[in-house]
Amino acid sequence: MNAPFYKYGYFGDELYLIAAFAIGIAFGFFLERAGFGSAKKLTAQFYFTDMAVFKVMFSAIVTAMLGVFYLSWFGVVDLDLVFVNPTYLVPQMTGGLLLGMGFIIGGYCPGTSLVALSTGKVDALVFLAGIVAGIFVFGEAYPAIEGFASSTALGTVTLHEALGVSMGLVVFAVVLMAVLGFWGASVVERRLAEKAGGAV
Amino acid sequence: MKAYSRWTISHKLALLALVLGVFALLGTAEKSGTVQLDTQELARIVEGEVDHVDVEELADWIVQGRSDYRLLDVRASEEYARYHIPTAENVRLVELRDYPLYRNEKIVIYSDGGIHAAQAWFLLQAHGYVSSYILLGGLELWKDEVLFPALAEGADASARAAFEKRRSVSAFFGGQPRTGAAAEVERYTVPVPKLESVPNVAVPKRSRKQKEGC
Repeated sequence: MNAPFYKYGYFGDELYLIAAFAIGIAFGFFLERAGFGSAKKLTAQFYFTDMAVFKVMFSAIVTAMLGVFYLSWFGVVDLDLVFVNPTYLVPQMTGGLLLGMGFIIGGYCPGTSLVALSTGKVDALVFLAGIVAGIFVFGEAYPAIEGFASSTALGTVTLHEALGVSMGLVVFAVVLMAVLGFWGASVVERRLAEKAGGAV
Repeated sequence: MKAYSRWTISHKLALLALVLGVFALLGTAEKSGTVQLDTQELARIVEGEVDHVDVEELADWIVQGRSDYRLLDVRASEEYARYHIPTAENVRLVELRDYPLYRNEKIVIYSDGGIHAAQAWFLLQAHGYVSSYILLGGLELWKDEVLFPALAEGADASARAAFEKRRSVSAFFGGQPRTGAAAEVERYTVPVPKLESVPNVAVPKRSRKQKEGC
């Protein structure tokens, strides 16, 4: 049996929805357990006092990347059928900056605000109201910004194709970056903790 | 370096990731992966006649401006230049393997009659393009039924009603319905529409997968 299952149409649509639901619940649960339901913990990332966000996200990237790479190497996953988000360079950079600003100001990203809401945090509820309002404004304003939103379209770009190297090399480089990043993050955390400790 | 027994779980996982990363240098997960070709399954598809798309169906897609399919014209480029079905891309059989297609795209192939299209269909299936289809009857049937639909004299009411729909579709593609005595005219004597007279149907670009992703 080959993956992605959905593209091969192995099961009925309902089963995929049930699977998505189960995966979503698990995702939310582990985000919560990693402490991502707390705006304090999340924003500490931006002051480099707690690098948990960086570590968790990069671990997830590395785990998923290695999984997809090896499964496709062994012929279980057909990478051609895996969706790659098309690149729109300038709109996506703008969107990324906006999301980052919102993240720092509000203390959550969209997913973690839902996680925080599940433990009854009121700030998450306010944040969510902001998201809904933002979606509404975006939807209404879309005709005006449509030209911008679809500008600088590069199609589906993957790192190894753009750099002209093998996929394995990119996988290795990302793993190396992650491991060095984890090490660097723990060094920064320790330094800042010492400094904070010394100041008291 | 600390003794391995004193490593935390994070250290061990990092080491595992590194080892897997190093092995990844040797691996390939490229597009040219081998595909299991089940010839019996192919035979079943052919026999079940689920491997084709009707000309009327395709005409409807084009009229509706749908962009969730790729239409491939596998005839020679001169023939393509003379006339092709709107939204079609010209691909020769020898170019087919390296032509930029995605395995999850709905691919419709046509040639004059259908033999070349059928052969192209097998080539694509062999490379794992599971949702490729043949335009049944090829360009000849396209001309007969879409461009120059004919209404025989003395046709009954339901045939006339169906013909009215075909008439508008035919007009959309710059064709010419044949009625009465004209219905007997061989389609080969009717000139194919000039490509310029064909409505400007946007060729689907690579933006079909917008509905996916998060």
